[in-house]
Parts: sequence; C-alpha cells; structure tokens
Amino acid sequence: MSMRSQVYEWSNLAPSGQTSSLRRTVDAVPVDVPTNREYDVFIGGIGNNITKPAETTATQFIVIEDIACSAYLGGALQVRINTTDYFQNPDVTDQAGVPGLASPYPRGSSDTAGVDALTDYVQLLKSFDLYPDVYVLPGQVFQILYSLQTGNTSGIATTVVAAFVKYTLYDGPDALIANKLLELGVTINPNNVDWYKRTLIEQQQRSRVAATATNGGSA
Amino acid sequence: MRSQIYAWNSQSTAGGTTAWSNANTGNSVSIFIGGFGNNITKPAETTATQFVVIEDVAVSPTAFNTSSTSIGYYRGLDGGSATNGVYGNRAYIQVRINTTDYFLDPDNVGNDGIPGAASPYPRSTSFQPCFNLYPDVYVLPGQVFDALVTTYQNGAFASAATLEGNQLSAFMKYTLYDGPDALIANKLLEMGISINPGNVDWYKRTLIQSQSAPAMA
Repeated sequence: MSMRSQVYEWSNLAPSGQTSSLRRTVDAVPVDVPTNREYDVFIGGIGNNITKPAETTATQFIVIEDIACSAYLGGALQVRINTTDYFQNPDVTDQAGVPGLASPYPRGSSDTAGVDALTDYVQLLKSFDLYPDVYVLPGQVFQILYSLQTGNTSGIATTVVAAFVKYTLYDGPDALIANKLLELGVTINPNNVDWYKRTLIEQQQRSRVAATATNGGSA
Repeated sequence: MRSQIYAWNSQSTAGGTTAWSNANTGNSVSIFIGGFGNNITKPAETTATQFVVIEDVAVSPTAFNTSSTSIGYYRGLDGGSATNGVYGNRAYIQVRINTTDYFLDPDNVGNDGIPGAASPYPRSTSFQPCFNLYPDVYVLPGQVFDALVTTYQNGAFASAATLEGNQLSAFMKYTLYDGPDALIANKLLEMGISINPGNVDWYKRTLIQSQSAPAMA
C-alpha cells in the first residue's frame, strides 16, 4: 500500500457553540465564514480540522489531483505550497483560486443556496480539471485555502459550505520513484510509477540473461 | 478473475438483521456483519488462494443548503431532524484491511473515509462522483476486509422496512482473483506492479513468450 488514494472533505459544520472540531460530530451546525478571507481547510479553525498542518515527511510524496468546493456564495479554493500560491492572475497577482462554479462540490449541486428543489433546476458539472496535477515534494507543507465573497449568514439562517481534496499519497519506495520521475520530467501518476518499476525489472532481467550468457550458460 | 459487487441497504432486515436507526448515527457500522441492513454470514476475507482488488466504494449522497429553512426534502434527500442545512445522512465509507483503516487525514489519523457527496450511490444527475478509487485497494490472501459506514445526520434515513427511494445504502465493486490468477496477482505485487486484469494478462503473455522462446545454445 505504498500508493494510496486519499480524500479530505471539509465543511463549516461544528458542534453547537463551537467554530471547529477535530472529529465530525452528529447533527453539527453550520458556522459563519467571514468573507474575503482565506481559511485553511486543515487547520483554519472553522469546521472539521486536523491536528497539525498538512505536510509530507521525507519519505512521502503527494500529488493533488482534484479540488472542489461549494459553488454558491462566490466560494473558491486556492492551493498553497509552503508560502507560494499555485493559482495566479496573468499579471502574477494573487487570486482566490478555482471557483466552486468551475469545480463544484458535490458534483451536480446547485449554484444557489437557500432555494428548494421546486425552484432549483441547476445541476452543475465541472468545467475545470486539475491537470497537470500539483506536486507536494518531501518535506513541504501544503494548504488548501477556502474563501467566499458573499456572507453565508443571514439572520438566523447559515449556509453550509464544503470543500473537497483528492490526492494520491506515495510512500517509501514509491516516493523515491516519484522523485525520480520528477527528475526525468515524467508526469507522476500510478501508471508511470508502475512503468518505471517495470523498466527496472526488465533491465534487471536483461542483465541477468547477459551475465548467464557471459558465464557460458551457468548462472 | 471475476468482477464482483456488494450492495448494502440499511433498511433491509433480510437474514434477521435490524433496520438502521438513529441510535447508529455517529458510529462506524460494517456493511458485511454490522447487524444492520442486509448482512453476510461471516466476515469478508480472502482464502489462501484468493486475491481481492477493491476498485470502487460508494455510499448515499449528501446535499448542502441553508439551515433554518422550511425545506424538508432537497433533491430527494431528507433534511433529518437537525434542520442544519445538511440533507441526506452525511454518510462516509471507510475501507478496513484487518485492523488498518485505508483512508487517513494528512496528519496520518484515520478518518471517516470517502464522503457520499464525493462518491454517491446511487449516482444521478444531481449527485455525481468526483472521486475514483485509483490506485485500487488490495486484499491479500488470508486478510479480512471490511467497509464501514458512518453517518452524522439524525433522522435522514427511511423508516424501517422501507427499501425504496434514495435512502442510506452503500456499494462496493471489487475483482476476485482465484487460483492461478491469484498467484499471478501475488507475483505482480512482489514486482510492485498494479494488479488489474490487464497486467495479469500481460504477465501471462510474458510467461507464454518466455516458454515459447528458443532455448539458448
């Protein structure tokens, strides 16, 4: 299990009276997410969080393959590696990242919150594909930053917003191969890691056959 | 090599099990032997001559909306008793091999698994997947495997004995390699090559080619 598909789902749901929790809780309630600020979905202090910043160890390599968030309220997701934002404007200025309208979560959800099924006909599809993928090299810290432009609280009603990250974790020998592929300029994905392994095995087999032939047929 | 599926419905009482209730909310329940919904007779495991590759898992979807509204149902999903803007069971499905959870958070702590919002079952135009289980999950010979469903929304499932509709259910798709194909699967695993029908066939072709090659003088 040295290549593993992983997901992380964040939402602004927390136990009543709290803004965040380490584990999901039953019947959690949505909390206010201030507008035009970026919140780390891992340790941002809103909704479900984890115990420490997301980072790779010296023997891990992460490939982020998909990000998505709620399509309404002007929600967007940015990827930050160490201190560098991945998505930039053409003039190299900061931007919020991938809008939920382009990569909605859940897929097929509406672009408007607070409407009922009878007046809501929108079922959004994705118009964004995170390709090429985003690489998190060994020892790097990564953040997935959620922001929204319109407030999610109006009176007593609060809208649930969510974000989703899909990534593949390469660990141990597969992380070494991922680093090797990076050096070679080859895209890192399970297929190419397998291809590299097969290449190594075929090289070993050829060497063994050559050595056998050199020794006059004896191994 | 055989493609296999297992579908679980929380409200089925076939085989003398109990229908799902609010008391299970927040707990991880096995879809094979958890005692709720349709179950099997013993834990899911591979024999010494079997190899299982889990290729997809899915669970009932979730929709998000605004709290404190008068919307009881949204896109076919029940809002439950919390009126918190979450529709559906807020269900997750985790894969466990022996005692190890497959899906972890980035801090290496086991999480609830794949959200139904990311891998919905059943799929529809309103609920489409944004997750596919690749690379696959391997269950080696002699290992026990399980799929655990956890929900966080009370009252969003069907009443007992109601099997129709978009209620709490789960799905697993896997390929069972048996006999010689399981041996090849083990060999591919040793070689660090992904186990799928294509690579098993590739290995067979390699064996045949090496056997049919002329002997070295």
